[in-house]
Amino acid sequence: MDVNRTPVQPVTPQIAPVPPFPPPPTSVFCTIVPPHVLDKLAQSEDPAHHGPARLTLEHDALHRARRSDTAVRGITGPAPETASDKPHRTIYDAGHQQVVPGTKVHSESDPPAKDASVNRAQAGLGATFELYLKVYGRHSIDGKGLPLDATVHYGEKYDNAFWDGRRMVFGDGDNTIFLDFTIPVDVIGHELTHGVTQYTANLEYSGQSGALNESVSDVFGSLIKQYALGQSVGQADWLIGEGLLAPQVTGKALRSMKAPGTAYDDKTLGKDPQPATMKGYVETASDNGGVHVNSGIPNHAFYLAATALGGHAWERAGQIWYDVLTGGHLAKNAQFADFAALTVTAARARYGTGEEAEALLKAWSTVGVTAK
Amino acid sequence: MRIEIRRTGGFTGIERRAEVDTSGRPDAGDWHTLTEQAVATAPGTPPAGVPDGFRYQITVEDQGHSRTVYCADPRLTDEQRALITRVLKEGA
Repeated sequence: MDVNRTPVQPVTPQIAPVPPFPPPPTSVFCTIVPPHVLDKLAQSEDPAHHGPARLTLEHDALHRARRSDTAVRGITGPAPETASDKPHRTIYDAGHQQVVPGTKVHSESDPPAKDASVNRAQAGLGATFELYLKVYGRHSIDGKGLPLDATVHYGEKYDNAFWDGRRMVFGDGDNTIFLDFTIPVDVIGHELTHGVTQYTANLEYSGQSGALNESVSDVFGSLIKQYALGQSVGQADWLIGEGLLAPQVTGKALRSMKAPGTAYDDKTLGKDPQPATMKGYVETASDNGGVHVNSGIPNHAFYLAATALGGHAWERAGQIWYDVLTGGHLAKNAQFADFAALTVTAARARYGTGEEAEALLKAWSTVGVTAK
Repeated sequence: MRIEIRRTGGFTGIERRAEVDTSGRPDAGDWHTLTEQAVATAPGTPPAGVPDGFRYQITVEDQGHSRTVYCADPRLTDEQRALITRVLKEGA
C-alpha cells in the first residue's frame, strides 16, 4: 500500500529499450541484477516481470537507505574536557539559499536578535539542552557538551526542517500550508533528538528501526515542550508540530501521539495517515519504508504508558525510553518488538516489578506489539 | 519531454508530486539542457539521505524512452536543485 496524500497519477508503464541518457558511470552498491535493468522490468506491462522486479527494487532501496549519511559519517564533535552545564549555541542564516551553515548571526553571549526565527531557534535549542541535562543528566546531544548549531531561513519557502548530521536546518515554510518550522519547540526538539539517536543507538533510518528513530524524536520533542511548559500528562496536547500549519489548513498539527491519524484532514494536505496500532501498519517503499507514518504506533504506545503512569511524562515513561535509547542494548536494526521488550527490561531495572513494567506491557499490547 | 518530480520524506512525511511537459513551450530548450545536466550524474537507486531530509525521484520521458533517477537533500547538485525547484513551482 502506498501512502500518497496528494492524488498521484501512476506513471504510464513503458518499455524503454535504450535509456535516453548514459547510465551512471559507477555505483557504490553492488547487486547481481543492475538496478537499471530492474527499473525496466518494473516498468514492464507483464506482471510476471514487473512484480518481482518492483519488490526487489523496493528491497534494494530500503537496504541502501539503511546506510544513512549521518550513520556512516561517525561525527565526533569537539568535546570539552569538562562538559559545561550551559549550552553553546550558534545560529546561522542561510539567506533563503539552500546552503549550510550560512552566515553566523547569533552567538551564545549575544542579546536577543531582531529576527524571530533566530530567537526561536536559540530558545528551542536551549529548551532541548535543558531537558536532556536536568532530567537525564546528559550534556548536549553527544553527552560531551557538543556545541549546538542551527541554520534558519534555509531555501525559499522551504517546507521542511531536518538534521544534517551536524546541525539543525529550518525552512521558513511556504506561508500557505506551513509556517516557519522554528515555531513549534517540539520540532526543534525532534531534530536535535535525531542527533542524540545518532550518537547513541544510531537506529537505521528505514523500516521499523526508522520508524523507531522517528518516534524517539517525536517522543522527546513532545517531552521538551511538556517540560518547558511544566505540563502533566493530562495537560499536554501530545501533538507534533502544533502551530506549524497555516490558518487556512484544516488541522491541529502534523501528528498526534494521543490519536494517531487525526492530526489533520485537509483538502490540500489530505488526511493524517498515521496508524495507532499494528493493524494499520503501512508497507511502502516511500519515505524509507514509511518512517513518518508507522512511527504513530510506538508514539501511541508511549502516550498510553505515560498516561497510565500519570504525573509528568518525562519522569518515568521518558526515563525508560531514554534508558532504552542510550543503554547500549538497542540494536541499530531493532524492530518494534525489540524496542518494546527493552522498555520492559529497563522499567524493571530502574523501578522493579511495579506498575511501570505492567503499564508498558499493556501499552505495547494495545498497539498490537508483543514484547519479545 | 515530460519531467516528473516526486518528493517524499521530510519532517512532515507528506508526499508532493509535480510534472512539466515541455512540448510546445518556448523555453523547451532550457528545460532540456537543465534536465540532462540534472540527471547526468544521478544514481538510478535512492541514495542515503539524512533524517527528515526530502527524497526526490526524477522521471524523464522523452520520445518513448523513460529514465528515473534519485537524489536527496541536502546533497543535490546545483542543476538538480534548480530543476526540482522549477518543476515544483511551475509544474501541475
